[in-house]
Amino acid sequence: MEVRTVDINTITTTNDSKQYIVVKIGSEQYGIDISFVDNIVRLQKITRVPKAQKYFKGIINLRGEVVPVMSLRLKMCLDNDEFSDKSRIIILRVDQRGLLGIMVDEVKEVVTLNTTQVDKYNPDSKDEQSTFIKGVGKHDDQLISLLDIFSIVDDHEVE
Amino acid sequence: MDVSQYLDIFIDETSEHLQDLSDCIMVLEKEPDNKDTINEIFRAAHSLKGMAGTMGFKRMQRLTHDMENVFQEVRSDKLAINSQMIDVLFQCLDAIESYLENVKASSTEGNQDNEAIIQALNALLEGRPVEATNSEIVKQDSEEADKTEYVFRALEHEFSDTELDSLKKEVEKGQKLFGFTVYINPNCLLKSARAFLVFRAIEEYGDIIVYNPSSQEIEDENFDLVFNFIASSSEKQALLVKVARNVSEIDEVLCEQVDYEEISGRTIDDERISITEDNVQTNNTAVAVKEQQKNSTVKGQTNAKPVTNRTVRVDIEKLDTLMNQVSELIIAKNSLVSISGQEGQGNQNQSFHEQIEYLERITTSLHESVMKARMVPIESVVNKFPRMIRDLSKKLDKKMELYMSGEETELDRTVVDQIGDPLQHLLRNSADHGLESAEVRKKAGKPEVGSIFLNAYQEGNNVVIEVRDDGNGIDTDSVKAKAIERGIVSEEQAESLTKQEIIDFLFLPSFSMAKTVSDVSGRGVGLDVVKSNIEALGGDVEVSSTLHEGSKFTVRLPLTLAIIQALMVEIENEKYAIALASIQNIEDIAVEDIKYVQAKEVIIIRGIVIPLIRLDKVLDIERSADFAERSEENLTVVIVRKGENYAGLVVDRLMGQQEIVIKSIGNYINNNKIISGATILGDGEVALILDANTLI
Repeated sequence: MEVRTVDINTITTTNDSKQYIVVKIGSEQYGIDISFVDNIVRLQKITRVPKAQKYFKGIINLRGEVVPVMSLRLKMCLDNDEFSDKSRIIILRVDQRGLLGIMVDEVKEVVTLNTTQVDKYNPDSKDEQSTFIKGVGKHDDQLISLLDIFSIVDDHEVE
Repeated sequence: MDVSQYLDIFIDETSEHLQDLSDCIMVLEKEPDNKDTINEIFRAAHSLKGMAGTMGFKRMQRLTHDMENVFQEVRSDKLAINSQMIDVLFQCLDAIESYLENVKASSTEGNQDNEAIIQALNALLEGRPVEATNSEIVKQDSEEADKTEYVFRALEHEFSDTELDSLKKEVEKGQKLFGFTVYINPNCLLKSARAFLVFRAIEEYGDIIVYNPSSQEIEDENFDLVFNFIASSSEKQALLVKVARNVSEIDEVLCEQVDYEEISGRTIDDERISITEDNVQTNNTAVAVKEQQKNSTVKGQTNAKPVTNRTVRVDIEKLDTLMNQVSELIIAKNSLVSISGQEGQGNQNQSFHEQIEYLERITTSLHESVMKARMVPIESVVNKFPRMIRDLSKKLDKKMELYMSGEETELDRTVVDQIGDPLQHLLRNSADHGLESAEVRKKAGKPEVGSIFLNAYQEGNNVVIEVRDDGNGIDTDSVKAKAIERGIVSEEQAESLTKQEIIDFLFLPSFSMAKTVSDVSGRGVGLDVVKSNIEALGGDVEVSSTLHEGSKFTVRLPLTLAIIQALMVEIENEKYAIALASIQNIEDIAVEDIKYVQAKEVIIIRGIVIPLIRLDKVLDIERSADFAERSEENLTVVIVRKGENYAGLVVDRLMGQQEIVIKSIGNYINNNKIISGATILGDGEVALILDANTLI
């Protein structure tokens, strides 16, 4: 299994800016705070776990570790994932809860966003996707929805 | 000498000696004449004293010293063992244990003198009856001791030259010297304030020359309920006593006029000499005792003591790391095995196969050795139980006896560390609820003394610990009534419940059957906690009970936690592992042999009705389109067993037995416990481990 590791150290950061990995889910672009990212791996065989929450695709073997994989699409009530050779699993490390993989359609690039480039996003309670977004970043005339990792990890499901 | 580096050893060894002492005293209670036991106790007490002394724990040393004295008398047949003595001895052990707890927490022994216990020991030595030997002795001590006699102790003090000087000056000025011993009421909260008031009252009429304890110590409340001083005054003795007594919360003031000569000449005072002689004598006996001990130790070691195992204490974390590495090795080996198992490799791979098999043998035995290194006998947990039952017996006023077997049964260290509380709870439960009082037992034609059994043994990959009593058993009718009362089941539902189902209510949270709440048990936080604790260790607990004959709690624990032998099965194209330990056998069942009971599929094997569980249904497995067409005439059924219950799991295909490393699937996914974990197969694929217990 080929593993592409993003080396955080080679990318310099300034105090008031953060780095995000820009991923594509459906037609939108999302940014994931790089400090939560442990690893990015290609799609591999996912073992289904019966009776699990439906947005969990199952578990994978990440070099001897068992890691659960979540579908962001299902968590956000979008259509089920379509697999292509651009699909990736982003492995997040959140606090003490251990590793968690999230599936994305494509990994595009790493961007550095200054705080001035980020707008606070006012959640629209009617929009179910918005619960997982904490802000919108602007980069090269593109909009990037910045994901709130903690609300994704939390065990609640959008109705 | 810096002894802090020996602290760990001291703590370990002291706990061992305490356990030995406790065991031996239990034996002694039953066989007061057992000389070997007395000698053993003597040795343990002596080692304790020696160690405490080396480490500089003076209070502990003093207590153990006095305890040793008692044993010395017992050993030389001057004292007979009686139940009072046993009680006092147990109090000693408790006191030493609390010292030890202090040492563990703060590296100091604390400041509890346990004067009462020491007095009780001395009373035993002198053959006096011990007063207040109840467990309350510690609380009562100061009061009892001081109320009995007030002693004038003002002169029991080593006067320094300066003190003698100032006393002399006062005498030369023509003042009279008065010695005072003042007893403060034990309930007094501010002792130093009282002392200060006494001093001020006296100082109105004279000067206080000598303080004993020193004024600094009195200010710091660093004294018991007694303090002494010598004052000089020209007033009458009666007046001084009166003003001192006027201070509230003062129990007694003893005053005597003293001569300077008497004070200064005390070194040659008769009484003093006799005291020193006494000391010398006790020292002598102590020396003699020590010599005797030396002899006895040497003798004892040659004939009684088994040769100690050559052991190394290893940090459990190091073993955990080792265990993880072995796990990795087994996964790597499994993938080699899977490669070598592939067909079409040709003949040149003959030796490759042999080496793989060799590797397999080595990893398996390596795993076993590491597991064994982590195993400890449950002894360390269960050997505190006889003492507990003895105490409970007194507390509950029931006669009972604990019989234990299989203390040498070994379990993983992590399991042993956590099994103590649940077992203790079960025993208390048996003692409190299970056993009847002596009268009731007599009427029922049972022996007056109730029996509690704790049996441990290994059964396959499990260790079974049974807690059994010959008490009244579980009254299912009253449990049923209670369940209805609590609204857990309706009356109609209750009628159709089996006896076992009713008994299982006892494991529901806050379901206590005790009619009155006692501090032993009965708060309803019992059995459900026991159950969840044991399940957290991967085990389970069951009850069986016969009314009027007793009940039996069976605790089943996994021998190992990390690596198990499992049967791999396949359903459609998903792979699952089932722990070999829970599998009874595997059957090939013809579809037409399936019977129906209450619309549920069952099979009958050797007279036992076993419910069938279609794993594809339970696990929501999607069947491929042609499944209905290729329906077969025979089903492969894996019969799993949990205690007395069976279930037949229907699978598509058996893949064979394999050693698997259990991995947690983390806490993100929640799935009703059907899946107890995951494992990584030789080809890197992940397979789930089915917890058969939850399916039964």
